Amino acid sequence: MGGEGVVTPGEVVGESNQLIAGRGVYLAPNGRTLRASLTGLRKILPPPPDSSDQRSTVEVVGHKAHGAVPQPGSVVIARVTKVMARMASADIMCVESKAVREKFTGIIRQQDVRATEIDKVDMYLSFRPGDIVRALVLSLGDARAYYLSTAKNELGVVSAQSIAGATMVPISWTEMQCPLTGQVERRKVAKAD
Amino acid sequence: MKVEQPSDPPLNSCVDQLVVPGDTVLDLSTMSNQTIKLGEGLRQDSDKISVMKAGKLRLSKPNKYWVESSHKRYVPCVEDTILGIVVDSKPDNFLVDIKGPTLAFLPVLAFEGGTRRNIPKFEVGTLLYVRVVKANNSMNPELSCTDASGKAAEFGPLKDGYMFETSTGLARMLLSSPTCPVLEALGKKLSFEIAIGLNGRVWVNASSPATTVILSNAIMKSEFLSGTQQRIMVEKLMQKLQ
Repeated sequence: MGGEGVVTPGEVVGESNQLIAGRGVYLAPNGRTLRASLTGLRKILPPPPDSSDQRSTVEVVGHKAHGAVPQPGSVVIARVTKVMARMASADIMCVESKAVREKFTGIIRQQDVRATEIDKVDMYLSFRPGDIVRALVLSLGDARAYYLSTAKNELGVVSAQSIAGATMVPISWTEMQCPLTGQVERRKVAKAD
Repeated sequence: MKVEQPSDPPLNSCVDQLVVPGDTVLDLSTMSNQTIKLGEGLRQDSDKISVMKAGKLRLSKPNKYWVESSHKRYVPCVEDTILGIVVDSKPDNFLVDIKGPTLAFLPVLAFEGGTRRNIPKFEVGTLLYVRVVKANNSMNPELSCTDASGKAAEFGPLKDGYMFETSTGLARMLLSSPTCPVLEALGKKLSFEIAIGLNGRVWVNASSPATTVILSNAIMKSEFLSGTQQRIMVEKLMQKLQ
């Protein structure tokens, strides 16, 4: 039962009295065998030194390099597609500086735009369609979209275009200015680091 | 063949003139006072102000410029008072057609003394006199049946009467002050109620259908008449009525 090799979903990868189920592995309904839930390479990890349970962990790691998938708690970069009265919809483009391979949609609700005065938020003064925002994934949301939040200083609009078509320069956490016309537009701006 | 570039017109010569899209009407580098306010139909291209909509260029001293034009369709603008027709109702708002690019939302609580317990029930097709609260190009406009302080102030459904559609320019002329000549002349001889929406809808309510017909015809015909011509037209209509 040692060693590595390619396993397919459903294949037995170990016994529960010898190994703990890790990523990509689940405990079969009979309670004794561990089976793979992904296609990939089987790996054994040594047990953590301080725990009472001295079993190794077996996990299955994908054999292809998959694109990143947003997880709750990860910071993503998204492009706003639609702004509505109570929420804004955005296409997630990168997760933690890795580009995604498939289309993920996120929703930023009115109460998640900022941390203070959340019922007075005007969505149109926070985002516009086409803005690039840095957001935090709150949860997996529903079948249609992840729930995102920009309620922190370093989250919010990172780059936006003005009505005249130029990339705007941030002035404060609520305003950005167009370099061509000098017009100031309101956004929820991320603090640059 | 050499194509000549149009030279920039001297300052203020275009005011109250017909302008078409592409005309450059102001050059900021030649102006002494560089703070100007641009209204509808004008756009800034670095130092030049150019026209986006065909119409008459207007100036309100000291520095407000805009292009006045008349259209059959309406572009929603904040604080406009308009006439809308209810198309659908959802749990949170009514969907109202305002002759604009999208339907507008009228929140169910946007009435004087509006609470969850006394939500008005409007049938599809109800005519409402409303005020635009939010209007920007990526979202559906939001309406309200109260004025800014929360009072009802004549907003709400309009009962009976007859509604007809006009251009936005005629609606603005009817609402201008001092009172438009055609309305003044009609008001001297007939008694009626009228509501004018800046989106090109006018509602009149009079005691008899004949009066209503005369009112609507007189108003629709008065769009391109001068003040005197409007008074003469109303006189002739009144004689026919006798």
